[in-house]
Amino acid sequence: MSFLVRTKQKFSRLFKGLFKKKQMRIGIYGPPNAGKTTLSNRIVRDWTGDAVGPVSEIPHETRRARRKEGVTISDEGGNSVTIDIVDTPGVTTKIDYKEFLEYGIDSDEAVVRAREATEGVAEAMHWLREDIDGVIYMLDSTQDPFVQVNIMLIGIIESRELPVIIVANKTDLPDASPSRIKSAFPQHPVISISGLEGTNVEELYEKMIEYFG
Amino acid sequence: MPHKCTKCGREFRDGTTDILKGCPSCGGKKFLYIKPEELHRDILDEKNIEDIIEEKKDSLLEVSNIRNDEPIEIYDRIESIRVLSPGSYELNLEKLSKSDEMVMQMGKDDKYIVDLISMGKVDKSKKKKKKKK
Repeated sequence: MSFLVRTKQKFSRLFKGLFKKKQMRIGIYGPPNAGKTTLSNRIVRDWTGDAVGPVSEIPHETRRARRKEGVTISDEGGNSVTIDIVDTPGVTTKIDYKEFLEYGIDSDEAVVRAREATEGVAEAMHWLREDIDGVIYMLDSTQDPFVQVNIMLIGIIESRELPVIIVANKTDLPDASPSRIKSAFPQHPVISISGLEGTNVEELYEKMIEYFG
Repeated sequence: MPHKCTKCGREFRDGTTDILKGCPSCGGKKFLYIKPEELHRDILDEKNIEDIIEEKKDSLLEVSNIRNDEPIEIYDRIESIRVLSPGSYELNLEKLSKSDEMVMQMGKDDKYIVDLISMGKVDKSKKKKKKKK
């Protein structure tokens, strides 16, 4: 009897595996204040009407990875992809509570914020290791892309052989230079957008269908 | 009258208490009085490098100014998180991306905290205990 039970279990697992296609889990990574939450809010709002989390100009506003499951993105040609969007805390190598003091946060709160941000980075790296199938790497195109953390993190993502789309954000700002980001990472597709104003996000959606579909 | 250390030549102003326990620079115990107008004379008529080479019959050694300040030594570090002070952290992304094992360095000296539970979860064969002080 036990043989039959085991065989039945095996088959049912096999069937589950066949019919329940795993959704790609796409992590939005990047340095603090690149606009990761703004973009994930836009993606989620455009396709489900929800929001992911609050946005602020103070670095490390997002200190826990936030996930929105089952976001279906489609284009006019009828192609679509269903993904889980993971908005991650900004990844950096140094977190100092003193930088928050400039934004008018009192020192006790800043210390707590720094601790939470540190936990957040550890959590983001944990997600990257186990649960992420593709990455949208956000960069602020008014900033120099050649900083250690970007090179290091892109290297880590490449070593995991995950598909990457690089987003040069904040093109609405006057000193934005998305071409600098394009030349910094020629091995990956670079899409320049303004997450805040929604400029050119359609191109990103098309790329996401092509890349993560 | 100002004083001068006979050992290293450091000069001190008149009546200073700095020299009571010996010269703060070299520990020398002998001082001589110098005339106020002779104060700083050795610095004032300073020789240039060429003169010194000629005098000492030494060859000129260039000291290169290129500092090897690569912050990328982060790759070799053992700790995942360095807690410099409450609220100031340095994160080793390379280490964090590899495993959940937590090794924390407290402060700038070699004091580590090793989270054994985080290591047990991943792979029991990797279990290590390191504590340095």
